[in-house]
Amino acid sequence: MTDNQQVPFGSGMFQGQAKFVDYAHMNQQEVQVNTLDEPVMDTLLRDINMILYKLSYVIIPRMKETQGRKLRNWDLWGPLLLSLLLAMTLGINSNQSSDTIFGTIFIIMWGGSAVITVNAKLLGGQVSFFQSVCVLGYCVFPINVAAVLITFLQSYLGFFLRLIIVGAAFLWSTFSSLSFMSSMMNEEKKVISVYPIFLFYMFLSWFCIFI
Amino acid sequence: MDFGIQNQTDEQQQANKESSNQNVNEGNKKQSGCCAFLTVEFYTPYFNVTENDVIQRIQGTFLPLKPDFLNLIRGNPDLWGPIWINATLIFMITAIANLRQIDEEKENQSFVISYVPQATALLYIIAFGTPIVLAAVMKFLGVDLSFFQTICLYGYSMSTLLPITILCYFQNELFLWLIIVYGFANSSLFLIVNLKEELDKLQIQKKYIIIGIVVTMQLSLYLFYKLVFFSYVTE
Repeated sequence: MTDNQQVPFGSGMFQGQAKFVDYAHMNQQEVQVNTLDEPVMDTLLRDINMILYKLSYVIIPRMKETQGRKLRNWDLWGPLLLSLLLAMTLGINSNQSSDTIFGTIFIIMWGGSAVITVNAKLLGGQVSFFQSVCVLGYCVFPINVAAVLITFLQSYLGFFLRLIIVGAAFLWSTFSSLSFMSSMMNEEKKVISVYPIFLFYMFLSWFCIFI
Repeated sequence: MDFGIQNQTDEQQQANKESSNQNVNEGNKKQSGCCAFLTVEFYTPYFNVTENDVIQRIQGTFLPLKPDFLNLIRGNPDLWGPIWINATLIFMITAIANLRQIDEEKENQSFVISYVPQATALLYIIAFGTPIVLAAVMKFLGVDLSFFQTICLYGYSMSTLLPITILCYFQNELFLWLIIVYGFANSSLFLIVNLKEELDKLQIQKKYIIIGIVVTMQLSLYLFYKLVFFSYVTE
């Protein structure tokens, strides 16, 4: 292995030829930045902080797009956790075929986000694929809250109370995702770019009424 | 508005690049052509509509006796309508079929999720599979209707089901059968009247083949609708 290569961390294994990261010859600074070597708690805490930071943007929807600049670092951990939570909540509460429900919700969430993003792209919007999937996934958080709430207060809530809670969650989700997505859409086709998002959250929230 | 200007210059640049590429490598054209339908750019021209266009096209389907639809979409068939009208229908079927089965007194009820995959399969196979079959048959028989126009025509004919699905909430059997029959008549007439102009150029037997395919698929769609999704609910 030659000395003149500063192999970036993590990519040592993925180069064309088999190379090993030569720890003995690295300087102290490089070792400190190596995320492969840090304690697991550090990695987890960093990711959790990132998720919570993004969730704070969902909880308090801000209309100005400039404030969301840090959200350009998309990640899919948050959407994964939220979709698992939603699918499990809805699946546990049904008496029959909970595995079908889990699978269907999961597919609707990820497939739906992908289809909405491709739709926005086809209509001429300037959307980046994973960024949009990330935003749509994070904005499912209010629907999650409504599902968990209805699960715990099941016997106390009649049909109309559930409708109100789920309706509020749906409006919250749609509003906060619109505050990010609408700036990326094509100006003259905004309604038909935004309608699928509306349909997507309506679909997911409707299941919560029937828990 | 900045995005609009950026779009145009991007498109111009792309067009220039494409023309220069074509001049340079003619031999590679076939290779990129065979997989072109897998790229996003291939489908972009078919999403060139605004909400007013969509509303106009949907309104056109509710008046089946005016053979205007093909003129409406001539030169600009869109795929947005077929895809999202069917997605809306899937949601409505799930929502309303489950609402129908709610009974306040019963304790142990849960929602039927099997409507979602069933509705998805049914609607998308009929909305996209039938036009493929129709277009192939029509090409074979010599009718000059482009593939995407057939998809557009068929997809928009599904919009008759939108109000019907909402009305299917009511429990009255006779009413349900009435509106199903009305929906079947409306959408079949819409399709046949709009295809008539193209079909008149053919001989009688060939015309009836195409009309037969159309009517059979519509019949199966509406029967499936009634018998599977909105069947009789025992009180």
